[in-house]
Amino acid sequence: MSIIAKRSACVLIQGITGAAARLHTKNMLDYGTRIIAGTKPGGGGGEVHGVPVYDSVAQAVEQHPHLNTTILFVPPKGTKEAALEAVKAGIKTVVMVAEHVPLHDNLEILEEGEKKGALVIGPNTPGLISPSEQTKLGFVPSQYFIPGPIGVASRSGTLTYEIVSRLTLNGIGQTTCIGVGGDPIVGTPFPKILQFFEKDSETRAILLIGEIGGTKEEEAAEMIRDRKITKPVFVYLVGRTAPEGKRVGHAGALIEGNRGTIESKLASFKEAGVPVADTPGDVIRIAKEVLKN
Amino acid sequence: MRLYEYEAKEIFQKYGLSIPRGKIVESAEEARRFASQIEGPVVIKPQVSAKKRGKAGAIRFASNPEEAFRQSQSMLGTRFDREKVSTLLVEEKIEVDKELYAAMTIDYSFLRPVAIISPFGGMDVEELAHEKPEMVKKVRFSISTGPIEREYEELVTIFNQEERIVMKEVLQKLCRIFRDYDAEMVEINPLALTKHGKVVALDAFLNVDDDSLFRHPDLVRPRGMSREEFEFEQSLKEKKWKYIEMDPDGEIGILSSGAGITMAILDLIKMHGGRPANFLDTAQMNAEGIYNAFSLFAGNTKLRVLLVNIFAGLNRCDDLAMGIKRYLQEHPLRMPLVVRMIGYREDEGKSILKEINVETIRSLEDSVEKVIQIAKGAA
Repeated sequence: MSIIAKRSACVLIQGITGAAARLHTKNMLDYGTRIIAGTKPGGGGGEVHGVPVYDSVAQAVEQHPHLNTTILFVPPKGTKEAALEAVKAGIKTVVMVAEHVPLHDNLEILEEGEKKGALVIGPNTPGLISPSEQTKLGFVPSQYFIPGPIGVASRSGTLTYEIVSRLTLNGIGQTTCIGVGGDPIVGTPFPKILQFFEKDSETRAILLIGEIGGTKEEEAAEMIRDRKITKPVFVYLVGRTAPEGKRVGHAGALIEGNRGTIESKLASFKEAGVPVADTPGDVIRIAKEVLKN
Repeated sequence: MRLYEYEAKEIFQKYGLSIPRGKIVESAEEARRFASQIEGPVVIKPQVSAKKRGKAGAIRFASNPEEAFRQSQSMLGTRFDREKVSTLLVEEKIEVDKELYAAMTIDYSFLRPVAIISPFGGMDVEELAHEKPEMVKKVRFSISTGPIEREYEELVTIFNQEERIVMKEVLQKLCRIFRDYDAEMVEINPLALTKHGKVVALDAFLNVDDDSLFRHPDLVRPRGMSREEFEFEQSLKEKKWKYIEMDPDGEIGILSSGAGITMAILDLIKMHGGRPANFLDTAQMNAEGIYNAFSLFAGNTKLRVLLVNIFAGLNRCDDLAMGIKRYLQEHPLRMPLVVRMIGYREDEGKSILKEINVETIRSLEDSVEKVIQIAKGAA
């Protein structure tokens, strides 16, 4: 079992004819992802790695009614239009990889997704991967992931690869790894992901890779404190030494007032009894301890 | 991107919000001339990016043109929160009956926009929100429709009957600005209520989402920085690079890819007693990119060591190694270089760097220890 990226995902690639989309469509197909169709306005009738291309999502859905997931390989300016098109056509999981999607566009997408009961992941995410289901949605480099008991959610792509490759080296596999996205507003932040992992029978423990900025780590900690999440959770937090008021990297990593500071996050996790790793090496030590129990 | 007060006020006025009569000046003489036109007391405010000018004593009053001259002269050319004061906004002083507050921004916990109003505006509104939350009304609303009738009604319940009508109008105008300008935040504090029941925006705050600037190209211009600094910033933006100067006395430069891993490296360096000077986070690296990135660090004479972190998941170690090799063959680097390299085609990358006598380290922690040793040894 796993979350969201499952065998049952019938995948559409929007913007499939672009260079990055072609490359990652190939990578996803090789991994085992069931990519059924792609779209490109004006590109209907073509093929990319054997995947049929349509002009619109509506047309793709008409030909392949079981399509339920889309990945947007679309520039930030076009992300809103593409996402709304997918939601309107009844797609239930929308993965947005683009960075620099305008904030208001993003809010509109999330609002529309909620209205239509669609799950929005990202923006600014490398996607997600479930090794036991041989399914990845996005461009995470699959060679670092193996099946196992840990659910991983992270705000950062490269840091996830760094940490997960070490878990894998130590024989600790993963149910699903999800990049929730590096923006201050994302469709499935940590609290929502915790609920998914809580319900997943295979996930024995959950690793959150968080950072300064925003309040989603604090909200996750409150859920754990209030026993809404009963599985063991452990955390790696970065940005302890980030200069105040500067956007260190992710737009989400901006410190404002007392909210989102490292102190506030550490205090929340401490109150909830959640172990927090200081270094990448420490993550592995805690993972082993958590799995022993 | 944060607009200056006078820029935000121009926009406010376009949307039908009243602002005081005012003029942007760059000299004390201009301030004197405008004050004499006003024929009454004026307010003089530096146009800088920092907030809390009032608390810092940077907002001055003058009752006559001579005083306006003196006050302006004492402010022009000074620095406010490191930004040089080169323009002042001189405005008529408004007779205020009450100071109110109105804003629209984004509630990051609920992932929705929120309208915030209070009958008690002014410098202490944050403290008020904390101490007497019932005095500050917040209503979240739909991004696609803006606040609906019922939500406007709920917002203005905090005001008395006459104020409700004008406040609802203010909020409707603010909402149009909020949407049209892709605002992270639009705020009027204080919003003056005059004895005649008119509302006037005494200050104006408008922060436009950087990622939406392709829709607002006319707003992109240097604020609080020189032309060169601005052009440098724009060139980084085009490359999607994030380059941050952290510590002018720092010793370690960091070139890495990805915000999360870059923050992790900074944490590790500080944890072990090192001082990072600056870092460059390249979203995606290739041979060409890493070649260009080196030039950002090469000219920095304070750096004692440069750490390059390569974790090749989607890119290739050998490709990046070629970029480094090409740079170093063309430009001798003054400082020692530590390359942490792991991932796809790692052995090939390693041997390319070996050809030019650059050792690579596999473990992130070991590479951090190494740069700290070098930085300390050279000190």
